[in-house]
Amino acid sequence: MGMDRGDGRNPNQMRPLACSRNLLHRAHGSARWSQGNTIVLAGVYGPKAGTRKGENPELASIEVIWKPKTGQIGKQEKEYEIILRRTLRSICLLTVHPNTTTSVILQVVGDDGALLPCAINASCAALVDAGIPLKHLAVAICCGLTEQGSLILDPTKIEEQAIANLVFPNPPTSVIPKGSSTSAEEPFEHGIITSVTHGAMPVDDYFNCLERGRAACSKISEFFRKSLQSDLPDNASKAS
Amino acid sequence: MEQRMSSTWRLTVNEKNFIETALLADLRVDGRRPFDYRPLSIKFGREDGSSEVQLGETHVMGYVTSQLVQPYRDRPNEGTLAIYTEFSPMADPTFEAGRPGESAVELGRVIDRGLRESRAVDMESLCVVAGKSVWAVRVDLHILDNGGNLIDAANIAALAALSTFRRPECTVGGEDGQEVIMHPPEVREPIPLTIHHLPVAVTFAFFSEGNILVIDPTYKEEAVMGGRMTATMNMNGDVCAVQKAGGEGVMMSVIMQCLRIASMKAADITSKIKSAVDAYNTERALRNVKRHPSSIAIDVGVSEVAMQEDQVDDLRKDEQILEDKLRASSSGNIGLTGAETSSSRKREKKTGGNNGEPFIGGPSNWDPYPKEISSSYIRSSQALPGPLTLNDEQEVTKAAQKSNLSHVDTAANVSDAPTETITSMNPQTSSPKSLKDAVKKKNRKRR
Repeated sequence: MGMDRGDGRNPNQMRPLACSRNLLHRAHGSARWSQGNTIVLAGVYGPKAGTRKGENPELASIEVIWKPKTGQIGKQEKEYEIILRRTLRSICLLTVHPNTTTSVILQVVGDDGALLPCAINASCAALVDAGIPLKHLAVAICCGLTEQGSLILDPTKIEEQAIANLVFPNPPTSVIPKGSSTSAEEPFEHGIITSVTHGAMPVDDYFNCLERGRAACSKISEFFRKSLQSDLPDNASKAS
Repeated sequence: MEQRMSSTWRLTVNEKNFIETALLADLRVDGRRPFDYRPLSIKFGREDGSSEVQLGETHVMGYVTSQLVQPYRDRPNEGTLAIYTEFSPMADPTFEAGRPGESAVELGRVIDRGLRESRAVDMESLCVVAGKSVWAVRVDLHILDNGGNLIDAANIAALAALSTFRRPECTVGGEDGQEVIMHPPEVREPIPLTIHHLPVAVTFAFFSEGNILVIDPTYKEEAVMGGRMTATMNMNGDVCAVQKAGGEGVMMSVIMQCLRIASMKAADITSKIKSAVDAYNTERALRNVKRHPSSIAIDVGVSEVAMQEDQVDDLRKDEQILEDKLRASSSGNIGLTGAETSSSRKREKKTGGNNGEPFIGGPSNWDPYPKEISSSYIRSSQALPGPLTLNDEQEVTKAAQKSNLSHVDTAANVSDAPTETITSMNPQTSSPKSLKDAVKKKNRKRR
């Protein structure tokens, strides 16, 4: 029963995660996030002067450019750009640098399912690497529904039938032990930033996805924070 | 984006003077000699036909795809090759998305001339049904990081990707003998392209009215240079393409000298590409042999073939792969296997031995006190159980080993059978229980 999935994972298992930062020399921040064979490289250029015409000049604006692995840029890529832009806007502190534009450029290096969550994780890591002020991290995961109706986490491309891409906020208080968090933070921890679904699924299954996704996201965020923290002693030498 | 948005990066006057003065004394800013290339590293992705080339700070990714199309009317029995270059905005703050700029078009044309018009790739073997369907090969080059000399790096990426690309085999069948049946890769092994020769581009930069020339300029030297010339040559000494578009006038004798130097460098780079491709092909063959569905975690990670002479340069990135299995296995339902960390610095020449499974078949290495293993190398080499459900005992053993091996010094790399050394170190570091575990492991996998 547990070996139903093609690559031998059980329904609650994610593919191996890997995150590396500071890969590019010209970009202000860069990160490469891989979940199994889905790999996305994100580059960030920090606040540039000026915003686009329709934007509010009292806030910073985020510009997202999505580069597919092959082929021309079409509607799918534009949709990803819009979703990513809205997600990242909600985690960045937009009032710190008003009337500026931060560019996030994503390059798909490999696509084997769960591409959007991988991209969101990569861009969040790249923003951290660039030092853009953020309210909290955003952790994304993809939950899918098999034909039999059972829930799987992190589906590969062949497993993708009906899927929900979910992005949860990850404030620092969520990793501090329970005693020191104030009650005002509590409702926030149960929030969700973005949810994009493809395919039809029953409502109860969708709520199941949310629960499973949140639980899995706490694991991903642990990994994320660990990989961010262990860089700190090295950063001092890199600054020179 | 309009002009006010694009950040124009300009070299400062001080830097410009410094570079020029240093060149007068035959010195380059990064310590190279005038005719030295930066360290070159060629890596391949999991799929056939995807390559990542790093030339110093310049980073280019190449990806080859193919499709069946109708041939051109004047060449009914030849396939087509098209090269698309993307100057990604992540490479340089001055690159903008949308229409390719001048240098992007120039780069695409130089590589196109070198590859297609010199007939490096055999087009006639790409014909399936003459006049009806042929293979169209498309090479996408993504410039990820502009550290200077994009033409050379992109060219190498294209060559590496084309050398490892395989197209599906298709036969002509059906009732009327005109239908093309494409076989999936599981049924019939895909076929590599026929490449006659490898045209390698070598770029020169001229300074101070053509008197000083250097090879492989960095982006700062490119901002200072007076002129540039790219010579695409192959190992046989044929000149496939020469591009000198404007810039300072240069004497004929200097041009001839450049061509001579280029042919030597081309031979050098060709041998590097070939050995990288050979290593990838061996690893691919190994991978194809072991097709057990539930046992091996081969699919994680890239088959890396680091080619640089200077190892320090490569390790700018810190890669973190955290091994979280213990926590994950104790947390009930959610199993996050394979969230793994290792430190990057020691991960230099990781070849296909990444798989770290005892029966991949490297030389058996019984060396109870190996001086030259880095603990984190071992950590990284065992870090790839992939999407398997590893049993907890294995994890405990490995975790125990890791902590015990933390004293081992780093040094040169180990052979391609790291796990053999690990299992050999087992008896020293852990209790006798671990020997049984080592045996147990094999039993489980045989199931």
